[in-house]
Amino acid sequence: MKIFNRLWTKTLGFIVLLAFTAFFIVPVIWLLLAPTKTDHQLIFGNPFSFGSFHNLAHAIRVTFTYQDYALLTWVKNSAIYSFGGIAIALVASIPAGYALAFTNFIGRRTLLGITLFVMIMPATALVLPLFLEANAVHAIGSPISVILPFSFFPFGVYLSYIFYSSSVPRDLLNAARIDGCNEWNVFRKIALPLARPVVALVAFFAFVANWNNFFLPFVMLPSNSNYPLPIGLQDLLSSTPAFNPGIGGDVPILRPELAVATIVAMAPVLIVFLFAQRSLVSGMLAGATKE
Amino acid sequence: MSPVYLDKLTKIYPNGYEAVHDFDLEVKDGELMVLVGPSGCGKTTVMRMVAGLERITRGTLRFDDKVMNDVSPKDRDIAMVFQNYALYPHMTVGENIGFALSMRKLPKSEVRKKVKETAEILGLEEWIDRKPGQLSGGQRQRVAMGRAIVREPKVFLMDEPLSNLDAKLRVQMRAEVTRIQRRVGVSTIYVTHDQVEAMTMGDRVAVMRDGHLQQCAKPQEVYDNPVNIFVAGFMGSPSMNLFEATLNENADVLTLGSQTLKLPASVLALKPALKKYANSRVVVGIRPESLNAPGPQTQKGDDDVSLEGEVDLVEALGSELLVHFSTDAVRVEAEGAVSEDAEGLDAGLIAQRGAGVARVEPGAQVTLGGKTTFSLNPSRLYFFDSSTGLSIVE
Amino acid sequence: MSSVEVNKSQPSPGPTDVVSPVRNNKEKRGVAGYLFVSGYFLLLVLFGVAPTLYALYLAFTSSGGHFVGLSNFINTGKDFRFLPAFENIGEYLGIWLASLIVIVLGLALMLHSLARRVSAAFRFIFYLPGALAGAASVLVWLFMLDPSVSPWKFVLSGFNFHNLGQTIQPSHLPLIFAIIAFWAGAGGWIVVTYGALNNIPNELLEAASLDGAGVWKTALRIKLPLIKKWIAFMLILAFAAGTQLFVEPTLVSEASLGLISPAWSPNELAYVFAFQNNNFQYAAAISVDLLILGLMCAAVLVFRTKLFEVE
Repeated sequence: MKIFNRLWTKTLGFIVLLAFTAFFIVPVIWLLLAPTKTDHQLIFGNPFSFGSFHNLAHAIRVTFTYQDYALLTWVKNSAIYSFGGIAIALVASIPAGYALAFTNFIGRRTLLGITLFVMIMPATALVLPLFLEANAVHAIGSPISVILPFSFFPFGVYLSYIFYSSSVPRDLLNAARIDGCNEWNVFRKIALPLARPVVALVAFFAFVANWNNFFLPFVMLPSNSNYPLPIGLQDLLSSTPAFNPGIGGDVPILRPELAVATIVAMAPVLIVFLFAQRSLVSGMLAGATKE
Repeated sequence: MSPVYLDKLTKIYPNGYEAVHDFDLEVKDGELMVLVGPSGCGKTTVMRMVAGLERITRGTLRFDDKVMNDVSPKDRDIAMVFQNYALYPHMTVGENIGFALSMRKLPKSEVRKKVKETAEILGLEEWIDRKPGQLSGGQRQRVAMGRAIVREPKVFLMDEPLSNLDAKLRVQMRAEVTRIQRRVGVSTIYVTHDQVEAMTMGDRVAVMRDGHLQQCAKPQEVYDNPVNIFVAGFMGSPSMNLFEATLNENADVLTLGSQTLKLPASVLALKPALKKYANSRVVVGIRPESLNAPGPQTQKGDDDVSLEGEVDLVEALGSELLVHFSTDAVRVEAEGAVSEDAEGLDAGLIAQRGAGVARVEPGAQVTLGGKTTFSLNPSRLYFFDSSTGLSIVE
Repeated sequence: MSSVEVNKSQPSPGPTDVVSPVRNNKEKRGVAGYLFVSGYFLLLVLFGVAPTLYALYLAFTSSGGHFVGLSNFINTGKDFRFLPAFENIGEYLGIWLASLIVIVLGLALMLHSLARRVSAAFRFIFYLPGALAGAASVLVWLFMLDPSVSPWKFVLSGFNFHNLGQTIQPSHLPLIFAIIAFWAGAGGWIVVTYGALNNIPNELLEAASLDGAGVWKTALRIKLPLIKKWIAFMLILAFAAGTQLFVEPTLVSEASLGLISPAWSPNELAYVFAFQNNNFQYAAAISVDLLILGLMCAAVLVFRTKLFEVE
């Protein structure tokens, strides 16, 4: 009886796991297969069948050439905003984490506390205030209005602070001072090269956050030529007859094309996930200390 | 290469804690000075003040005739070996050793040459392109040494450099560090809590306690003539046996518990100050090796006195026996004087009233649980003032 | 930009300062500290503090710049869309947080009892949709919810949904957004929870089994209490993020043919005030409401859970 019970629990557990696996993975598989089919096949065919390479090539061509290669412009914009934000965030946050961990200045603890607060607060909460601010200084529509807020990345400062205070011994820096380094060289020659893992971690997190950010560019960048990918997707969504049967009968963007655009939008993050899975996971745990 | 002068060096932390008090020390040119004391005695603080890593609250630090108080570490021309080595993990062995030279803008070819020479001295040639993470503890220790000696600095500072090594390697590196220091002849301050390192390595030893210098002298001198109970108890392993005792009116009979020891005239002649302690209490100290147990090789001197004790525990070390015994005398503990890795004294059963240790020949006749009468030469007794703890000499 | 200037202003390693004694090197290290944080500090002031203060200023003044007390807050609170917006996210948060507690913890505990290799594969699959966070995830789910193309057709038709409009009717939205949030976000939380479970020393679990605790008892009495800090961490962060819902309702309402209010969530309402009514004061007032919610979450997390290291 007991053995039967255990077996039953085990089987049930396995069924639950498989059900959730399907829940998580089916949309991804469907999305990857969608561009190989025509809109008609999508509606009437087996959802998990492969269409044809011809269809795939067609969907890709249509999606990319739509509105004079608008998709490529969006990709380019997304890349500029994301990497611009990451670059400035790194230049600002690695030294800041170092200073918070190793130097003593008035207001250090306060700065650390504020950093913690802003880091936990959802970034979205600041979007409209940022818009109001940018509007007041007439910066709306400029890429800077997205890149600079992206580069304010308190989580990166916290990660860098945790890294320095937990894995770089103070004596290592003292050794460098004795070896003849001034404060700048202690950072440049010793602390910065050691920060390579945390630089990667901060860059990954900043990238995922920036690349997927919708709200901030949505309010800051009103013009189509400035759109990053997420806003581009929204633009496609609003003009496709697939979801708006009444309008835009001449717009060639149907479901397969929307799928192509979605895949283009998610591919970079997916690649980062695949290659950096381990460090991303460790970073999520490093966000807070061990118990 | 220059002498180092510490003149009334004092360190008071912002919270008011005084870690080092009026510390005077002179390290002669090329001398290896060992700073020894229990943990928390301030020895590392002294070294860090010399390095410039800790600000000097009061007093003067000079290298030769130059005051160094406000010179930043990079400009002091010192080299330091840290307890955990502090090797740069992202640099190879060669780059670690050469780093200070390249910071001083030496031409690359010269840096390479010096690194090579240093690596040869330390037997590190084949590891020169490895990263510290790939080395064993002993090798890392050697790299840390190499990083210090390649500089040919004015002063070496070594902060417990051997404490992270296992016991066997520590003995080996002890000799090696001494050999290298002699070879390069740079004034060295060596901090340790291990009195064996202090005894074996130092040209002179400075014993510290609670931020105060206790005694600074040659190791043998510190061992033979400790200035107070603390130094007497700290130097030597096992520690000196210290008992409360009283002198009679002529200061020639010592009473320990129920036992009396007759002091010959020679002792009083050697230490005339004992007369002042007639009819009063003193602390008497007996080194474990001064006690002889009856045995085939034991020779009894004419003036020898006896001390009887009940044997609690016998530790056979092969070359000698450590006999733990108890008497009815009152044992005195010099606070903090027991070196952190002192042998034997941690066993609960012997930490009783009047416990003592004798270090005797392996053939000695002692029986566990029985009484043994140890003989000792009274001229090898130490006497201390029981209120000040100072040694009674002359 | 600002940070590049910081680099330039660092003391250059000139050979001149090798000989000159420097007074008070500890103080010098303090100065270096200011320089090292200056870039970040500037960003914090410009893009953290300044917008907050400006939003506060706007929220308490009229369009003419006169101090008006709480009237902006009161007027937005009286707006017919205000309460429904908060009710909407309240409903959404209820479903989302409940699913986090029940399903995420359940799955993490299940994975924790599996062999490491097997659970790693599951964790990766669960985690993968996180790559599609934001607009992409909404687009994917519009397909999933459209009965004409969805691979879940059979499920949808079981509920008698035959076109997208029926699936995404307003009363379903909190559940739909919770499903999207779960699909894209639960994997990350499963990984975090699993990591926290892995931090429990093995001896402890062995001791529990020697004490006679079975799988369920061990999970409920040993494992969950030991990771309760992380559970709090997860719930608070998910709550804080959930209050800010914007992209999901915006995109879904795009596909709903006007069925769904463009001011479905508070953030959307603030957006409507700013962009359609040109009333920045009202937009600022709602932003301040949401900022306060976020700050309260942060305060609870920082002061109550002690999960973050500040010294």
